[in-house]
Amino acid sequence: MPEKSMKLTDLKEGQKGIIFSIVGGRRVTQRLTDMGLTPGIEIKMLRKGRWGPVEISVRGSNLALGHGVARKILIKVKE
Amino acid sequence: MKKITIALAGNANVGKSVIFNYLTGLHQHIGNWPGKTVEKAEGTLFHGDYTIDIIDLPGIYSLSTFSIEELISREYIVKEKPDVVINIIDATNLERNLYFTLQLLELDRPMIIALNQMDLAEKKGICINIKKLQKILGVPILPVIATQGKGIHGLVHKALDLADKGQKIKKIDYGKEVEREIKKLTKSLKKIELNYPKKFLAIKLLEGDEEIKKLIKKLDPKIIKMAERSAKTLEAIHGHHRFTVIASERYKIANEIVKDSVTIGICKFKFSDKIHEITTHGILGYLIMILSIISLFYIIFTFGNFFSEILVEYGMGLKPIYEQYFGTGIVSSLAWGIIEGAVAGITIILPYIFPFYFILGALEDSGYLSRIAFLMDGFMHKIGLHGKAFIPLMLGYGCNVPACLGCRIMETYREKLIGIFVTTLIPCAAVTIIILSLVGKYIGFEWVFFLYVINLVIVFILGRIAFKIFPGEPTGLIMEMHSYRIPHLKTVAKQAWFRIKEFIYIALPLIIVSSLVIKVLEVTVLSDVLENLMRPITIDWLGLPSFSGTALIFGIARKELSLVILATRGGTTNFSIILNPVQMIVFSLVTMLYIPCIATVAALVKEIGWKKGIFITIFEIVFAIFVGGIAFRLLTW
Repeated sequence: MPEKSMKLTDLKEGQKGIIFSIVGGRRVTQRLTDMGLTPGIEIKMLRKGRWGPVEISVRGSNLALGHGVARKILIKVKE
Repeated sequence: MKKITIALAGNANVGKSVIFNYLTGLHQHIGNWPGKTVEKAEGTLFHGDYTIDIIDLPGIYSLSTFSIEELISREYIVKEKPDVVINIIDATNLERNLYFTLQLLELDRPMIIALNQMDLAEKKGICINIKKLQKILGVPILPVIATQGKGIHGLVHKALDLADKGQKIKKIDYGKEVEREIKKLTKSLKKIELNYPKKFLAIKLLEGDEEIKKLIKKLDPKIIKMAERSAKTLEAIHGHHRFTVIASERYKIANEIVKDSVTIGICKFKFSDKIHEITTHGILGYLIMILSIISLFYIIFTFGNFFSEILVEYGMGLKPIYEQYFGTGIVSSLAWGIIEGAVAGITIILPYIFPFYFILGALEDSGYLSRIAFLMDGFMHKIGLHGKAFIPLMLGYGCNVPACLGCRIMETYREKLIGIFVTTLIPCAAVTIIILSLVGKYIGFEWVFFLYVINLVIVFILGRIAFKIFPGEPTGLIMEMHSYRIPHLKTVAKQAWFRIKEFIYIALPLIIVSSLVIKVLEVTVLSDVLENLMRPITIDWLGLPSFSGTALIFGIARKELSLVILATRGGTTNFSIILNPVQMIVFSLVTMLYIPCIATVAALVKEIGWKKGIFITIFEIVFAIFVGGIAFRLLTW
C-alpha cells in the first residue's frame, strides 16, 4: 500500500498515522519523546479543537497538543 | 527510635498527593526547594519504633533536565539518598508510567512500586499480572487504591523491610547497539567520583544531558569527546536524534513489559468517555464551560455574601466590648485598626477564597480543568501562553496572590512573566464585591457583565502586547488528558488550605499593617491633604468626587476597603446619593485595573523581583487612570 506523509494536524478525526519524525528544537522534541511520541509509534487523532489544539491517543492514553506543537510532528498514513 | 526517609515519585495525576496525605495526615510541612520556586512537600509518619520522613517529589514524566522539577527530583534522589523510593504508577496508563519507572531504576535506590487506581483499571478491563510484572522489574509491586486507603499500610511495611535489608536493583538492557556504547562509557567513567551511578551517567552522556556533561567536563573532558563519538554512532545507525534513540529504546522496553504482563478485557466503563466528548465539543464544550464558570461565581458570591455578613457582624460586635475595656483614645483606636484588619482579612478568606479554591480544586482533580485548558488553548496562544495558563488566570478571580504563585506551572520564565502580568489584571473577589455593590446594585447586571467583558478585552490586548515585547519562542501545549474521575475531597480540601496559607503568610500581615496606616490617616488630617493633592486626577480627569481619592488610596491596602471608605467619607451607604451612574462605572473600572493590592505586589516581588514587580505596578496605575478618564469622556459625551 502506498504511504503518504503529512503533518499531524492534517489528520482527520478518527484517522490513524505513524510518526516518522519530529521537526523542532531539542526542547520540544525531548518533551514529546518523553511523553511517548517516538518514531514508529501509531497515533490516532481523536479530536481537533476550535482554533488549533488537537487531542490524540498514543500508547493507550490521551494527550492534548497545541497547534504549533502538533504541526511539528510528521506522520505517515496508509492510503 | 529509628529514622528513615521515603521519597514518593511518579507522574502527575497518579494519586501521589492522596497517598502523601494519607500517610502524613497533619504532620506536613509545605515549603520550597532551597533557592527554587518549586513546592516541596514533606511530612512525618510515626510508625512503631520508626520516625519516617516522607518527601513528595514533584509529578514528572522523565528524569531529563527539561524542567526544574525533573532536575530537583533526580538530584534529591542521588544526593540525599532516601532509604526507599516509592514509585507510584497509574494502572490505567502503564506504558507511560513505566517509562519513568525505568529511569528511576537507573538511579539505583531501593524501590517499591505502588500500582495505584486498580479499581479504575478493573473498570476499564485492564488486567495486570502483578507477579509477572514484579519478576520483570525485580522490585516489589503492591496494588493500591489510594482514594479508599487500600494497600497503603502494606507500602509502609514493605518500605521498612527494604530499608532494613537493602535491595539489589536490576539493570535494564537497552539492546545491543546502545548497550555497547554504554559499556564503553561506563568503563571510562571508572575513576569519576560522583553521586550518580555510573550507568546512569553513561546513559545521560549519550542522551546529551547538559547538566551531566557540565559535571563530567570539569573532571575529565576526554570522556565528553568519547560520548559525542558514541552518540554520533547511534544517531547514524538509527537516523534520529540521540535523545530520541534512547527514549525510543526505553519506551520499547516499557511496551514489551506491558505486552507481557497486561491483558485487556472488555471495557465496562463508558460514561466518562461520553462526558469527555461533550466537554471538549467545539460548541457544547464552550457552552458548558461558560455555564460552569458562571455558576461557580454565583455559588461563591451568594454563599460568601451570606457568610461574610455574619462574620462581620460578629467581628464588629467586638468593638463596643473592646472600647469598654480600652477606651477610645488614640492608641486604643490605632490598636483597634489592627484587629479590624485581621477581621477584614478573615471575612474575605473564609467565605470567598476558601470555597473558591475548594471548588476549583475539585474541578482540577476531576480532570475538568484540563478540558478547559484544551478548549482555551487556541485563545491563550494569541497572548503567547498556552491552555494551561488559563488555570492561574481562573485563580485570579478568587485572589491575585495565589494566582501569581500559581503561574509557577508555566514551563519557561517568559511565560511565567506574561502569565503573572495578565493575572494581576484579573478582578479578584474583593473587586467583584465592589462592582456588585455599586454597578450591580444601582445600575444593573448587564453593566457588570459589560465591565467584565471590557476587562477581558483589556487582558487580551495587553497580554498580546506583552507577548510581542518579551523576546523568545512560545512553548506549546503538551498535556496529559487523564480520564474523568470523582475528586478525592479530602486531598482537595487540603490543597485549598495550602493555597490559603500562602495567602495568609503573604497578605494577612500586610493587610494588618496597612489597616494601621489607614487608622493613622484617619486620626490625623492627612486624608484631607491627600484628597486635595489628588484633585487633578479624581475631579478633573476622572470626573469623580474628591473623597474618592482616599478611597482609591486605601484600596491599595485591600481593594474592598475602598467601598468602606466611600461610605464613611461620603457619609452614607446609599451610594446612589453620592455617586451618579457614570461615576460608579468609572470608579469600578479604575478599581478593577489600577493596582494589584499591596499583598499582590508582595507576591509579584517574590516571584519576579523588585524591578519588574514595581514596573508592573506603576504601569497599571497609569493605565487604569488613563482608561478611567477615557471611559468618563465616552460615557458623558
